[in-house]
Amino acid sequence: MKALVLAERFDAAGKLCAGARSLADEVVLVVIGEGQIPRGVADKVVHIALPQGAVYDDAADTVNAIFDAQAPELVLVEPTRHLKVIAGKLAAHAKTSVITDVLELDGEGATNMYFGGVAHRRLKALRTAIYTINPETFAELPASGTDAIEEAAWVAPQTPLELVAVAPIEKSGVDLFKADVIVAAGRGFAEESDLDLARGLCDKLGAGLGCSRPLTEGLNWLPTEVYIGVSGLMLTPKVYVAVGISGQMQHMVGCNRAGTIVAINKDKNAPILKQCDLGLVGDIKEVLPALIDVL
Amino acid sequence: MKIVVSFKVVHDDQDIQVAGDGSLDFSKAHQVVSTYDLNALEAAAQLASATGASVVAISAGSSAIDDSKLKKNVLARGVDELFMTADDACANMDAFASAEALTALLEKVGDYDLVVCGDGSADNYAQQVDVQLGAKLGIPVITAATKLSVEGNILEVERTLEDVVETVRVALPAVVSVAPDAALPRIPGMKDIVSAGKKPAEVGGAETSFVNTLEVLDCRAPKQADRAKVIIDIAEEGALSRFAAALKAAL
Repeated sequence: MKALVLAERFDAAGKLCAGARSLADEVVLVVIGEGQIPRGVADKVVHIALPQGAVYDDAADTVNAIFDAQAPELVLVEPTRHLKVIAGKLAAHAKTSVITDVLELDGEGATNMYFGGVAHRRLKALRTAIYTINPETFAELPASGTDAIEEAAWVAPQTPLELVAVAPIEKSGVDLFKADVIVAAGRGFAEESDLDLARGLCDKLGAGLGCSRPLTEGLNWLPTEVYIGVSGLMLTPKVYVAVGISGQMQHMVGCNRAGTIVAINKDKNAPILKQCDLGLVGDIKEVLPALIDVL
Repeated sequence: MKIVVSFKVVHDDQDIQVAGDGSLDFSKAHQVVSTYDLNALEAAAQLASATGASVVAISAGSSAIDDSKLKKNVLARGVDELFMTADDACANMDAFASAEALTALLEKVGDYDLVVCGDGSADNYAQQVDVQLGAKLGIPVITAATKLSVEGNILEVERTLEDVVETVRVALPAVVSVAPDAALPRIPGMKDIVSAGKKPAEVGGAETSFVNTLEVLDCRAPKQADRAKVIIDIAEEGALSRFAAALKAAL
């Protein structure tokens, strides 16, 4: 079996190639643009140079041509916004659909989330299998291969996009994926200044601060990148402390694989108190200062 | 200019129940517009009022999507006209089949300049129908749009990606999918809903069947970890110190 790997980031390329190696006999990696080309992870690297002013997504027609030439049975794709477009166009070209954000691959199918994690669904591609999958899934596997690099001929799209500007996004610098302990704030915080209580708790616990959807969308109290739940972050910290979060399913899918779930909520009937290991029923403004004192 | 906005009708996830064997029970779930498609409808309506364009909403799904309350809800959001394919042949379509069904429906709409899609559907959230639709129609696709404007025949989009904001321009016609931040959905008033009932809505069946390229082998709720559920009320004596001790022990 032959696998094609599409990756945007250097680290992801190596990991996805290692994963592809565990599933296929031959691994071909496609690298788009001017980034560093990984060595020794695939049997062949096909490099696509982006013309001046071209948008990354517009490499899709070239990727389709590589797909036709290589005729892989399996395509592994890093789930980035750029590559989700390229994978989708490839799927249209191959008359199939991408199985996105795969959690687990087995011999026959791939499992991903349905309704934001309410269910897990096992899908099988009836034609070519194209998966987007987190490269970390394969972090433990060894990559191997030669250093053969081939330059692809650019296939221009019918109507190209024009890249006018690129501006970096100012990040808050928090990487919640690396945090052992997460404090997540929800609608129970009535005022933005009350978030200082959550920050105080974070300091005591060595925790990162995240939130449920309402605090970032609409209220804008916290940056979008720390929103936990459906279409936001899916985290697996050692300890997750949900403060003022009711425990709607849309939020819980982002944290229900945490080691220990701790909840603080003033409503003793809040759904989260039925889904936690440890719960405290009490008002945030009263409980948090006292808790910070005793920790 | 004519703007087409595509939306998906899904089961309201608030009403989905999990049966004893982990399978999903949709019998109590209403048909609703998928959440992020409300943002797409709003983005289309706002762009239309800025440019004087008309807005046509389209959707393909099971026969159950032909629901008068739902149709009014869509038409009350700055939409001028609605086209639907409501046929059980269109139930549970994957991205490839959806693009085929929407392409067939667009033939009934006629000429268009821009197709607006949402960020991803509440059920699959695959973020693929926009791309497959553009490929099928043979027109460019721009995803992750957080800001869009049209000047003459040129669409300019700010797309917010993982690490950068790209500003991208393209000649129309094109497909654009908008991130939720692009436009906050309006809450239709009574007047909007009443006038929505008088707007044209064409609902038809599927003329061919749309073949899925993915087969569902299994679909059930994941087993939840059994949680200890030790609940302490702050009113209890020594509640805080017991809670703090248990929290520390978990770290």
